[in-house]
Amino acid sequence: MHNIHQPDVIFGLDPLWFAGALFVFTYAMILTERLNRAIVSLTMACLMILGGVLTQEAAFQGVDFNTLGLLTGMMIIVGITKDSGVFQYLAIWSAKRVNADPWGILITLVLVTAILSALLDNVTTVLLIAPVTLLITDALKVSAYPYLFAEIFASNIGGTATLIGDPPNIMIGSAVGLSFNDFLFNLAPLSLIVLPLTLIPIYLIWGRKLVADPQSRQQVMNYREADAITDPRLLKQSMFVLALVMAGFILAHDIGQQPATIAMFGAAVLLILISLPLSSSEQSKRVHKAFCEVEWTTIFFFIGLFIVVYGVETTGLLEMLAHQVLDLTGGDKSTTAIAILWVSAVASAVVDNIPFVATMIPLIENMAVTFGGSDELMPLWWSLALGSCLGGNGSLVGASANLIVAGFAERAGQPIRFLPFMLMAFPLMLMSILVSSFYVYLRYF
Amino acid sequence: MTAISLMDPSPTVLKPTDTISTAVQEIMQHRYRQVPVVTEDGGFLGVFGVNCLLKLVLPKAAVMEKGLTSLSFVYESLGDLHQRLKDMEHEPISICMKQDVEIVTPDTPLVETLLVLYRNRTSIPVVDPENNKLLGMISYWDVGEKILSADG
Repeated sequence: MHNIHQPDVIFGLDPLWFAGALFVFTYAMILTERLNRAIVSLTMACLMILGGVLTQEAAFQGVDFNTLGLLTGMMIIVGITKDSGVFQYLAIWSAKRVNADPWGILITLVLVTAILSALLDNVTTVLLIAPVTLLITDALKVSAYPYLFAEIFASNIGGTATLIGDPPNIMIGSAVGLSFNDFLFNLAPLSLIVLPLTLIPIYLIWGRKLVADPQSRQQVMNYREADAITDPRLLKQSMFVLALVMAGFILAHDIGQQPATIAMFGAAVLLILISLPLSSSEQSKRVHKAFCEVEWTTIFFFIGLFIVVYGVETTGLLEMLAHQVLDLTGGDKSTTAIAILWVSAVASAVVDNIPFVATMIPLIENMAVTFGGSDELMPLWWSLALGSCLGGNGSLVGASANLIVAGFAERAGQPIRFLPFMLMAFPLMLMSILVSSFYVYLRYF
Repeated sequence: MTAISLMDPSPTVLKPTDTISTAVQEIMQHRYRQVPVVTEDGGFLGVFGVNCLLKLVLPKAAVMEKGLTSLSFVYESLGDLHQRLKDMEHEPISICMKQDVEIVTPDTPLVETLLVLYRNRTSIPVVDPENNKLLGMISYWDVGEKILSADG
């Protein structure tokens, strides 16, 4: 918890109201999508400083560089790795393992999506898997919709399983000091339960309709996955670095290092490996290209958002809200955990889960005193992670991965409409939250 | 000298309602790189050319924005590609013509016109900014002839 200070706010305004108004306005602007969210968060962050709520120095204290470093490092690694063709290889290889059977392919693509989302991040994963999915469904002459729908769910469920799978987990892990293993042991088991459960209704609705003629299936069987590997040397280098980074994440606690350092070091090592044989000018081009793979819009959105939330936090507003939440739940930890789970899920389905989680983190931190210390908050953190990650499945705007898949569907002439998607996805998401409620209650209380 | 003095004022044109089959025949027969597409009253809409043809025979997943950057693992015969084109031949060209085309106006200066030509590597439309009417097309050959026949 941060010390509450009374800053000198512009025009002598009450800092709590001024910061609160900026915060609400930030949310509203993000929700309307009238302006790019990075512009909104950076503008509001600057207003927090210009308005006198924070000094520039204090604002920088609010920025979680561990989250930013982890995101940036992984973006660079994945950005370089994808040029090897390994992701297309995996998708094609898995499709051929089931003899190009349409339903079998849906299952294997779901598995590939979920695993990659857990090990990399779900946004990058869908960017790589969705085009291959469209290629395969085009060849099979089947609708891409069930596949893309299932992949949206797989990306968010897979992303729930690890520290690096989904931005909310990165933020929670960084703020609380949770390790890769903590997420793996606490959340991965639930992902393993929810994923097959989600496939049941998908099968009942679409499964039996997915039929392809032998000629179309043969076309997919004719794909040569080995030829998808366009750069074998890069593949070896990337796999070596990815293995190193994964080992680093697993051992981070033992070696006393933060995930951001591990991801950034992995990115640096990979950059060295790919640059060594090149001339100086070629190296510059390659490094420039690698840095272009970073989604700077997302990074700057995070920076602005961290400052806005920190500004609100320093005024004591979030502490007040935390007390309100505790009053509502009667100060009971299990009720609070389940409430956080459900509220996070519904909120994440309708608003961007990143600002929501950024707000919830200090709010939950403020509950430590009531529940007897930081260690007692663990069930609440897992509830927040589960709610915000799985809640993203509730609608098309629930997670960035959903919107990316929808974009591909639109360009392929098979649009995923907001309402039909929500009518199917929201109940499915609620089912996963119901399962999560039992899981949280049985495991932690 | 400006763009208007470089252009061919009566180029071959296509209508948005023309079928893909008609358009393909036209560009293959005359070896056009691209043909302007105009409304009944001459309003400029876009172009249909060899790139559109390639777009039709390639898998959608590769030609879409942020799509596959390599198809090294896909093995299809010419027959497969022909079939893909055949499936689309009765569709109007409006579904696949290129609309985000760089144009010049009649008053675009000579060197700027050449720069646009150089950037696009294909014939460029001359469009009246007042009413969006197609006035003509400028090809490499038109420009080449003009430059070669000019006095030093």
